[in-house]
Amino acid sequence: MNLSLFVQQILNGLTLGSVYALVALGLTLVYGILHIPNFSHGALFMAGAYTAFFFIGSLGANYWVALIGAAAVTAAIAVLSERLVFSRLRDSPPLHDMIAAIGLLLFIEAVAHAIWGADFRRMAPPFPGIMRIAGTVLPIQRALIIGGAIGLMIALHLFLKRTTTGATIVAMAQNREGASLVGIDLTRVSIITFAISGALAAVAAVLFAPINLISPSMGNLVILKAFVIIILGGMGSVPGAILGGMIIGFAESFGAFYISTDLKDIIAFALLVAILSLRPQGLFPAPSR
Amino acid sequence: MRMTRRVVWGLAAAAMFGTVAGGALAQETVTIGWTGPLSGGAALYGKNTLSGLELAAKEINEAGGLEVGGKKYKLEVVGLDDKYSPSEAAVNAKRLRSQYKAPIVFCPHSGGNFAMQAFNEQDGFIIGAYTSVPQMTERGNKLTLRIPPSFAGYLDPFIKAEMSAFGKKLGMAGADHDYAKAWAALIAPAWKAAGGTVVAENPMSYNKDTDFYSGVSRVLAASPDVMFIGGASEPTALVAKQARELGFQGGFIVMDQAKLDEMAAVLGGDWSLLEGAIGTLPLIFDQRPGAKSFVPKYRKAYNRDPGTEASLNYSSLNAVADAMKLAGTVSDAPAIFAKLSDAFGKLPPERNPASINSVDAKGGSNAVLVVGLVKGGKVVPVDASGTVQN
Repeated sequence: MNLSLFVQQILNGLTLGSVYALVALGLTLVYGILHIPNFSHGALFMAGAYTAFFFIGSLGANYWVALIGAAAVTAAIAVLSERLVFSRLRDSPPLHDMIAAIGLLLFIEAVAHAIWGADFRRMAPPFPGIMRIAGTVLPIQRALIIGGAIGLMIALHLFLKRTTTGATIVAMAQNREGASLVGIDLTRVSIITFAISGALAAVAAVLFAPINLISPSMGNLVILKAFVIIILGGMGSVPGAILGGMIIGFAESFGAFYISTDLKDIIAFALLVAILSLRPQGLFPAPSR
Repeated sequence: MRMTRRVVWGLAAAAMFGTVAGGALAQETVTIGWTGPLSGGAALYGKNTLSGLELAAKEINEAGGLEVGGKKYKLEVVGLDDKYSPSEAAVNAKRLRSQYKAPIVFCPHSGGNFAMQAFNEQDGFIIGAYTSVPQMTERGNKLTLRIPPSFAGYLDPFIKAEMSAFGKKLGMAGADHDYAKAWAALIAPAWKAAGGTVVAENPMSYNKDTDFYSGVSRVLAASPDVMFIGGASEPTALVAKQARELGFQGGFIVMDQAKLDEMAAVLGGDWSLLEGAIGTLPLIFDQRPGAKSFVPKYRKAYNRDPGTEASLNYSSLNAVADAMKLAGTVSDAPAIFAKLSDAFGKLPPERNPASINSVDAKGGSNAVLVVGLVKGGKVVPVDASGTVQN
């Protein structure tokens, strides 16, 4: 076995896993509030990429400004969707949330389609350099994805575990009635959670966009994987989303290299079936409600 | 008896006078049908093919319309969205034929064309099939015009030019949709027949994958001299770029679905990443007189560069219009179809940027193939024998 090629696949797996994990994190946090998977999350990913594309292309902003701007705008879209749609459906059956989420997904996609059209767009890489270490290739943008994702995960972990606001989100996810009884404001927690999930999706998209293409349907590819990841990791679990993202990322990169690129999705999903048949509750099941 | 005959003649004369008078009052319209994707991921591609038809119709109308059998007609292109779906293409074609009386329906995807072949002879309309799948004209349909040349013609020049420039080892990293598979099934044996070896076969999902690094590195692990790549232009450009990042120095054989100029645009205009790539010659680099006069006309009308999907459809509608003149009818599809080859042969270059000179007995056009090689950061034309022209 060629060692540098092996290391190359580890780096590929980390890159993919980081993007997947960031998207899955937002999805899993919102699951704690809505108790349904938010299908419109993929559209937020796409909206983040287009917002940054707009900031860079039309306003001439620098990459980092665009990253922060996209996170802010996408967080605002997520909060708006919570205020205008999901909060009003709080007492309806879960099916209504689900239909509303699909409606939102189609709506945001159609808006992007109307503004930017169907063609692929491309964001020029802000750091086109490539690091070569003993036969292994690591473009700086890919290093940035890995570093950025790990940094955000640590920040999110500290926020949830060390701050009172973070603790209210965890409490709400564990038991909505209990949390309300001890005086936690559901509205406030919902807004914060949606804002975080939108921002995470946008950051993932803006980090990933320079090595990929921007199109109205770009979110669909990633969101499908993110659903698998949160099922794999345990619905609503933060460490589960991270580990699940890495497992799918590694399965794809190693499967594509050592077995067949054609079969890599089969490998990733076969792994899902295998893990779920051994642990039907996911890797990190949420504590009982 | 005599009385009856007189009445019949009188009626016939009145009918004739009626039509002539009607023609003088309002110009009659011939509808040119089109069904293709106008929404979804392939919308841009659909619009590009439609634009070639619209430009041709506009020019014919501005030049005074189409004169057939002493009558003047105006051409009107009616395009209906089928979202790339064969079943919707068939429904659109039925509508274009029955509601608009279109004698020809153009369609830019093989699925839609195959679907229309089920009933076009019976309904009496010609299919303007914009697809290079060779089987399109192998099913014995008598009213199908295959507009682009069959892609089998690309194999020879592609293989000769790349093998002599880079070496005999081919790595296959094409896409995995049907069209790409049909290409792969032809090029691998042709490469071996030319004395080369295929060192890796790893088709990838160009439309669904989020990243190509692992797939490309799998092909590169077999150290190929030339890589076969190709799907839609944009992901194909990413595959080429990632292969360069991973250290690939050889050449690329680019499947005809991807266009070299669109790929370069995705890469920020960096042609150096595509050095040694061979593919269909982008129209803007075509030095033949027809193409050279078409490009500025198209830019003026649409404010962007035309691709071959525009020029091929533009040539075809011009030929269809002339075939109507030659046949003396705007509605009799078999008669129009029979004159198509003649019409193509007589088109002046400025109305025939795609350089289609004739149509074979089965309905396939034989446009003169020119392919392009990226050399020194520029696209240079390569002729059908694989010789670089300068």
